[in-house]
Amino acid sequence: MYTFTVNGQAAATDKKQSLLRFLRDEMHLTSVKDGCSQGACGACTVIIDGKTCKACVPTTDKLEGKEILTVEGLSDWESKVFTYAYGEAGAVQCGFCIPGMVMCTKALLDVNPEPTEEEIRYALRNNYCRCTGYVKIIAAVKLSAKILREGVIPEKSEDDWKIGSRVHRLDVEEKVLGYGKYPDDFYMEGMCYGSALRSRYPRARVLSIDTAAAKALPGVIAVLTAKDIPGENKIGHLKHDQYTLIPVGGLTHYLGDAVALVAAEDMDTVLKAKKLIKVEYEELLAVHSIEEAARQDAPRVFDEEESNVQAYKHVSRGDARKAIESAEHVITQHFETPWTEHAFLEPECAVAYIDEDEDVRIISTDQDAYCTYHECSLMLGTDKVKAENALVGGGFGGKEDMTVQHHAALIAYHTRRPVKVRLTRAESLLIHPKRHHFVMDFTMGCDGNGKILGVKAKVASDTGAFASLGGPVLERACTHAAGPYAYENFEIEGTAYYTNNPPAGAFRGFGVTQTCFAVETLLNMMADEIGITPWEIRCRNAIRPGGVLPNGQIVDESTGLVETLEAVKEEYDAAMKAGKPVGLACALKNAGVGVGLADWGRAKLIVEEDHKLHIYAGASCIGQGLGTVLVQMVVSNTDLKREDIVYERSNTWIAPDSGTTSGSRQTMITGEAVRRACGKLMEAKKDGRTLADLTGQEFYGEYLAKTDPLGADVPNPVSHVAYGYATQVCILDPKSRKIDTVIAAHDVGKAVNPLSCEGQIEGGVVMSLGYALTERYPIDENCRPTEKFGALGLFRAHEIPKIKAVVIDKPGLNVACGAIGIGEITSIPTAPAVTDAYYRLDGERRFCLPISGTPYERKGS
Amino acid sequence: MMAVKKRFPYRAAAVACNGDCPASAGFKCRYGCVGCGNCTAVCKFGAVSLNEKGVAEVDEERCTACGMCVKACPQQVIHIHECANYIVVRCSNQDKGKEAREVCAASCIGCGICEKTCTAEAIKVIENCARIDEDVCLSCGMCAVKCPRGAIIDLRGILT
Repeated sequence: MYTFTVNGQAAATDKKQSLLRFLRDEMHLTSVKDGCSQGACGACTVIIDGKTCKACVPTTDKLEGKEILTVEGLSDWESKVFTYAYGEAGAVQCGFCIPGMVMCTKALLDVNPEPTEEEIRYALRNNYCRCTGYVKIIAAVKLSAKILREGVIPEKSEDDWKIGSRVHRLDVEEKVLGYGKYPDDFYMEGMCYGSALRSRYPRARVLSIDTAAAKALPGVIAVLTAKDIPGENKIGHLKHDQYTLIPVGGLTHYLGDAVALVAAEDMDTVLKAKKLIKVEYEELLAVHSIEEAARQDAPRVFDEEESNVQAYKHVSRGDARKAIESAEHVITQHFETPWTEHAFLEPECAVAYIDEDEDVRIISTDQDAYCTYHECSLMLGTDKVKAENALVGGGFGGKEDMTVQHHAALIAYHTRRPVKVRLTRAESLLIHPKRHHFVMDFTMGCDGNGKILGVKAKVASDTGAFASLGGPVLERACTHAAGPYAYENFEIEGTAYYTNNPPAGAFRGFGVTQTCFAVETLLNMMADEIGITPWEIRCRNAIRPGGVLPNGQIVDESTGLVETLEAVKEEYDAAMKAGKPVGLACALKNAGVGVGLADWGRAKLIVEEDHKLHIYAGASCIGQGLGTVLVQMVVSNTDLKREDIVYERSNTWIAPDSGTTSGSRQTMITGEAVRRACGKLMEAKKDGRTLADLTGQEFYGEYLAKTDPLGADVPNPVSHVAYGYATQVCILDPKSRKIDTVIAAHDVGKAVNPLSCEGQIEGGVVMSLGYALTERYPIDENCRPTEKFGALGLFRAHEIPKIKAVVIDKPGLNVACGAIGIGEITSIPTAPAVTDAYYRLDGERRFCLPISGTPYERKGS
Repeated sequence: MMAVKKRFPYRAAAVACNGDCPASAGFKCRYGCVGCGNCTAVCKFGAVSLNEKGVAEVDEERCTACGMCVKACPQQVIHIHECANYIVVRCSNQDKGKEAREVCAASCIGCGICEKTCTAEAIKVIENCARIDEDVCLSCGMCAVKCPRGAIIDLRGILT
């Protein structure tokens, strides 16, 4: 028996296990999050004898007599202080890292009540956060220290919940104190555990599967194979080419393809049973790269396809070739961008069970509960399926596809038992679609004044083992490759190839992160050739209200690129004057999926028995703060107060389908649907009726963001209802050769919550500092990616530069009270700005990411 | 001894020897601390002493990371590290596994378990001895917990 103290109470266990497993599985202290179980992420940080420690590291046999503290064991006063400080600072986004950060905060402040900024950074540096870029968490620690010293919690600085107010997000407390539930935090009566046996080879034919020995193992409840799928085996976000389970005779497409599913009473038995399944394979030659995939004699990744081309796009307007031929200045260049892992802190997890209606109900962490519903229904061959979101611990595009939801649904369907299917971090790194690796060739022609005359490009992407969103990502990469500039001649050709690598799909920026790097770098080179500054060349070409984008769209009055350029000018000029190396880049990014697709926002406001207005929208909050945005939307468009309103997480049986959290669309599109529903509510309240009088009534709002399809036969097609614009500046410290400051000016339309907006900007910038400088996702010769979360090269708290987020509050369209959105664009111009700054430092142009020759480069990698 | 104002991030000397082949056993290890006392003699701050095993030990509170002991050590087992990196390899033995195992009960035998375990790829076996790259180490201590020899330790005393 091992005995120690947890939150002041005696605890004991006979089992030698990690402290993390003991705290979660036996004590159900679910503030202690399992983000990797590798010692990397820090989400399971607890305090042991006054020092922070990752709970996944020590085993229970080594803890005799130790005193362990989790967030659940904080005093009331500490709980209030940290909740206030994290809320006031805007430090909470997805929240998965937050209990660990809170533990770091406490451990530091207990011994150092007045820490310096550097001491705070060090206290947080062994814990990763992927949402915030650490800026606001550092601020929260500083504020916590001040409050703890002074002994008084001040009033919230802004609390009117109107649009434009920097209110504390509505989910701060549950995330700071760790009682908010992510799927992994559900421990249901009679719950079993499920996991998939994955393919041994990236490309092989499955000859036979023998599950007899696994089924015979005591504790095993079911072992399922493809023949147990009642509906369609092949599912997928758009194209149905993702196998739920590879059948006998079928081809495997990557190492993450599932061959069999095991459900058992506990995880130890699941793992044992997986080893007992015998699968015979015929190993086949795999396709490792774009070059291999494109060869005439290449092995085909899919039996069903005629070639490895997953998608092809050709976008052309004007005559790019002719324009470039006649141009005074022409630059041609090859560019490459890497695979990138989302590295959200919460690995994929789903809990499924049979509910009171005999439906398969799935509690999931995803970017669209309706997508989970549709794909699982397709696979089960029945619409007796419900899906709901628990808290989502970050997505960034990586949780748009089915990873565990369908497997959990299938197990629940067969066993009629609640089941939890959770990916290990190594599985997560292998399985969910990544950011596409791109190779790109660009040519730009300009006149003597730096006016762009034409751009011509050819790009190719590795979309890996199934389509996911490879087609739309390629399309967005192509349509946005022109940049936010007014010129008429543009042509791009793009091809996405299947390979046997892990799949690639949506990732914050959606293809634009890649082509923006190319076109912005070219523009910086062009500025040098012409003899003007990168700022000036952008000012001369910038798209302005009423101007025509290279895609033919006439942009409206909301267009704020020039405002973002003006916003950085003073500091840009000052840094140039001081002789500091400065880099600059711009970007545009659509809000809404656009290009003629049915982009619906839908919301239902229901007055329930508690006489409060409940907001139901089938739209996932993946950590960005959608619930807060929608509540602010209601407060601004009704006479209700914050306390009259309840935000409900997305589900598929009450909330209407409001589309995927993708394409930076929810603030504007679901926001407008909510605004319209508010109009109906106010109509009903016209004669002085109160919410209590309206109990049981529903108010529905919907909005279609109507656009024209790509290649529509109209002179000026509307590709997207709105765009966000940005300028980012990177200033280096010539002495340390590190980044001193990143200034990020973003035109977001009307900022619903400027505090959240800044948080998005800071997080997006730091994410792309990683993309530009440090991150890697190596894939070996067997198409196997890294299994180590700590080796991805994510930025740590002590490494971040100063980040100045500038929110340009220029009202957008006459929808959603002028809000446009912010999610993706924050990550887009960072890499070219950083790259240009390093060129100004050492004269070396860099065309491949992550760039080399910087102090951020990892030795020996 | 006067307390010395130090600049954050704090640095201090660390001795890469467990001292499990102590003086009484005749210091069989060629690589470890020999208890010569040069370090204690040159330290102006009283931060280095010989412990009960007869090997050098650093008091990080007193140490200013001046580096005098590093220079004075004939065995080169002392180096300067950042105090925030509290997971350290306490062995310098470069012999192959078998020999390293024979001379000391807490020697690094270069088995590589730490290297396989390390999520950050921060620890590498170089010349048969584990070394931590402090720039990338996440101080989780997984290597210390998994080390079959107890050659990697947590200076805070939590994990080891």
